[in-house]
Amino acid sequence: MTAAELRTAGAVPVRPIAGGAYTRLALHQVRRGALVVLAVTAGMSALVATTYESTVGDALDPAALAALAENPAIRTLFGEPVALDSAGGFTVWRTGTVLAVLLSVWGLLAATRITRGEEDAGRWGLLLAGRLALPAVLRRHLTVLCGVMGLTGVAVAGALTAVGTPPAGAAVHGAGLALAGMFAVAAAILAGQVLPTRAGASGAAVALLGLGLLARMVGDGVAALAWLRWLSPYGLLALTRPYREDRALPLVVLALATVVVGAVALALAGRRDVGAGLVAPAAGRAPRRWLLGSVRAFAVRRLLRPLAGWSAGVGAYFLLIGVLAVSMTDFLADNQRFADLAGEAGFAGLGSVRGYTATMFALLAVPVGVFAAVRMAGFAAAEADRRLTGLHAQPITRGRLLGAEVAATGAGAAVLLTVAGAATWLGAAAVDADLPVLAALAGTWNVLPIALLCLGAAVLALGWAPRAVAAAGALPAAGGFLLQVVADSTGAPAWVSRLSPFAHLAAVPDTAPNWPASAVMTALAGAALLAGGYGYRRRDLRG
Amino acid sequence: MSAPAVRTDRLTKRYGRLLALDELDLTVPAGEVFGFLGPNGAGKSTTIRLLLGMTRPSSGRAWIFDTDAADVAGAHRRLAYVPADVALWPRLTGAEILDLLDRTGPGTDRAYRDELVERFALDPSKPAGAYSTGNRQKVALIAAFATRAPLLVLDEPTSGLDPLMEREFRRAVTEARDEGRTVFLSSHQLAEVEAVCDRVAILRAGRLVDVATVPDLRRLHRTEVLVRFAGPVPDLTAVPGVDSVDPGTDSAVRFTVSGPPGPALRALAAADVTTLTMREPTLEEIFLDYYGETGR
Ligand SMILES: Nc1ncnc2c1ncn2[C@@H]1O[C@H](COP(=O)(O)OP(=O)(O)O)[C@@H](O)[C@H]1O
Ligand SMILES: [Mg+2]
Repeated sequence: MTAAELRTAGAVPVRPIAGGAYTRLALHQVRRGALVVLAVTAGMSALVATTYESTVGDALDPAALAALAENPAIRTLFGEPVALDSAGGFTVWRTGTVLAVLLSVWGLLAATRITRGEEDAGRWGLLLAGRLALPAVLRRHLTVLCGVMGLTGVAVAGALTAVGTPPAGAAVHGAGLALAGMFAVAAAILAGQVLPTRAGASGAAVALLGLGLLARMVGDGVAALAWLRWLSPYGLLALTRPYREDRALPLVVLALATVVVGAVALALAGRRDVGAGLVAPAAGRAPRRWLLGSVRAFAVRRLLRPLAGWSAGVGAYFLLIGVLAVSMTDFLADNQRFADLAGEAGFAGLGSVRGYTATMFALLAVPVGVFAAVRMAGFAAAEADRRLTGLHAQPITRGRLLGAEVAATGAGAAVLLTVAGAATWLGAAAVDADLPVLAALAGTWNVLPIALLCLGAAVLALGWAPRAVAAAGALPAAGGFLLQVVADSTGAPAWVSRLSPFAHLAAVPDTAPNWPASAVMTALAGAALLAGGYGYRRRDLRG
Repeated sequence: MSAPAVRTDRLTKRYGRLLALDELDLTVPAGEVFGFLGPNGAGKSTTIRLLLGMTRPSSGRAWIFDTDAADVAGAHRRLAYVPADVALWPRLTGAEILDLLDRTGPGTDRAYRDELVERFALDPSKPAGAYSTGNRQKVALIAAFATRAPLLVLDEPTSGLDPLMEREFRRAVTEARDEGRTVFLSSHQLAEVEAVCDRVAILRAGRLVDVATVPDLRRLHRTEVLVRFAGPVPDLTAVPGVDSVDPGTDSAVRFTVSGPPGPALRALAAADVTTLTMREPTLEEIFLDYYGETGR
C-alpha cells in the first residue's frame, strides 16, 4: 500500500457487507465434513438396499417377521422392524438409526464449532462489529447447516429411489433423516445461546439427543411407554414407518419442533451479548487450586468434567444392554432364523448371554474411540486458539505436554471401558443373567486396542495434519464400524471387511481374546503415536 | 561479560513464498530494555515465536542466554512471555490461571504477584471467560512480571490496556530494569517504545532497518499539522523545523514539524488561524518517508 492509499483508506465509506458473505463463510467451514457425511449417508443406504436380495432375500416369512416385530429387546436395540420384507424397509431398519445419529452428531458438532466455537475464539468480534447483528449471522449459519441436511435427505431419497425402492418410502425416510439432522443443528445453536462455551453447548446438545435416543429405545421396547417416541427426533423418525405406512404426521411434528427450537435460539441470540451466553459465568468464586500443579495434573483436571458426561451416557446405554440380556437371548434362541440372519449382519452368537454381550461390547469401541478423538481434537483446538500458549512458554517440552494429554485421554478411555463393563454386569445381575463381573470387564477391555488405534490416529494427525485430528481419530472406530456394517450387510469381498479393525475383534467374553490381533493393533497404535509425537515436536505451533 | 539475553544469527522464516523474517542479526545485552518496533505485519511476532521455539526457523539460529532457542525446557527457565493476543482457559479464574502458570513455570515472587494484582486492578476471582481483552492481557502481564525470569519477552502487551494501566505497565517495566532484568518489548507505537526503552530495533517487511538509541529515534518523530485560516495564508517554507509544506487550498496549509515547534508557532501567531489540527504520523508513514516505498 502506498502512503497516499493509506491516508485515503480511512476516508472511504464502509461498504455494507452482503449477507452472502456470511453464508459463504459458514459454508466454507463445513463443506468438507458435509460432503463426507452426505456421501456416507446416501451411499450406505443405497448399498444396503441394492444387496438386500442377496443377503436377506426370502429368509423371512410373515410369522418370523411378526415374532421379530413383537420382541421388546429387538425393538429396543435396533428399532421397530417395520417392512423387513422389502429392500427399502430392511434398509431403514438396518441403517436408519445409525445414520440419523451420525447425521445429528456431525450436525450438532459442526453447529457449535462454527457458531459458539468461533465466538469463543474471539473471531466473531470483528464479524459482528456492526452491519449484521448476531441473530442475522446465526440465522445464516443455521440455514447453511439445514441446507446441508436437506441435501443429504434428498440424496438419500434419490439414491433409494434409484436402486428401485418405492419413491414414497424413500422420500419419507430421506425427509426424516434430514429433519433429524436439522433438529440437532437447531438444538446445538440453541444450546450455544444459553451456555457460554463451545464444550458446554456441545455437551448439552449431545445430552439432549442422547435422551432422545433413550426415549426412542424405551418407547420402542415398552408398549405402555410408546408415546415417548413422540418426544424424540429418533422416535419420530421411527414413527414415519417408511415403506409401509409412509406417515407424514411425525415429519410435520419434527419440522415444527425444529422451527420452534431454531426460532427460540435466534430470539435468545438477540437478547445476549456477543461472547456471552444467557447463563452468565459465575461473577466470581474462590479459587479451586486442586490439579493445577503440573501439566499432567492439569490434563486430568480438564478431563474430569467431560469424562463424567461420557461415563453417564455410556453407563446408561450398557446398563440397558445388561437389563435386556435375558429377553434378547431367549428370543434368539427360540428363533433360529433370526439368529442366522443376525449372524450374517455381524451379530453372531446372540443366542447366549455371553455371545450377546460380546456383540454389544464391540459397539463400545465406537464411543470410546470417538472419545479419544474428541479429546485430542480439543487439545489441537486449544493450541489453535492459543489457550495453550501460556504452557508452551513454560520450561516444558512439547513432548511432555503431549504425553500428559495422551496419558489422561488413555486413562479416560480405560475409565469408560470399566464403567461400561460394570454397568452391563449390574444390568445383567438385575435380571439374573449369567454374566460374572470379570467376564463383563474382559469383554469391554477387549475393545481397548481399537480405542488405542483412535488415539494413535488422532496423535498422528496432530503431528502432521492438525486440522484433521477429529476426523482421523474417529476413523478407526466410526469408519471401521460403518465399513463392517456395510461389508456384512452387502456381502462384500472378505478383504474389504478385514480392513476394519472390528473384523479382528474376538467375541469376548464368549470366546478367548484374539491376542495376536490385539497385539498388532496396539503396536500400530504405538507406531502412530510415536510418528505423531515426532511431527508434533518438530512442526510450527499454530495460533 | 555475561551472555547476551537474546542473540540471533541470520534468523530467517519463510511462510511459503512470503519471507516473514529475513536474516535477522540481533544482540540484546542482559539488563537492557530493548524495543522492537515495526508496523503491523513487519515480522515482530514471527521473531518472538522463533525466539520461544514455537516456530522453527527456515534457517539461522537464536539463543536465549546462550541456550539454543529450540531447547525449550532450558531456555524457558530464564524467560517469561506475554503473547500479543492472550487467550485463557475460560472456566479457570484469574487466580487459578496465575497459580497454574506459577506452579508450571520458572518460579514466582508471590508477594510481588499479589501487589501487581492490586496495581493492575485485576479481579482474580472471575472466570477468564468473563474477562475483557485488557483483563486477559493483565493476567498474562502479572504472571510474567511476577516470575523471577531474567528475560521478559512482551509482544505488543499494551494493545488492550487503558491509559491508566499503561502507566502501571511502564512502572513495572522500570522496576524490572532496576532489578537488572532484560525486557524485549515489541510494539508498533513509537511513543510507548520511546518512553521505556534504552535501545530500539526497527523492523520493516521482515528486515532489520536500524538499531538506534532512543535519542536517535526522536529524529524520526515528526508531527503533521493542518491549519485553516480566515485570512491570507502565511508562507512557512523558510521556517526552521517545518517541512513538506503542502499549500492545499487558499485557506489551509498542511506541513510537518520536527524538533521544537516554537518557530512554526511564531510564524502562525501573526495569521488569523481558525483551526489547528495536529497528528502524530503512523510508523508506516515515517518509514515510507525515511526509507522510501520499497518493501511490501
Ligand atoms: N502462520 C503463518 N502463516 C503464514 N504467514 C504468516 C504466519 N504468521 C505470520 N505470517 C505473515 O508473516 C508476516 C509477519 O507477521 P507478524 O510477525 O505477525 O507481524 P507483526 O507481529 O510484526 O505484526 C505477515 O505478513 C504475516 O501475514
Ligand atoms: Mg504481532
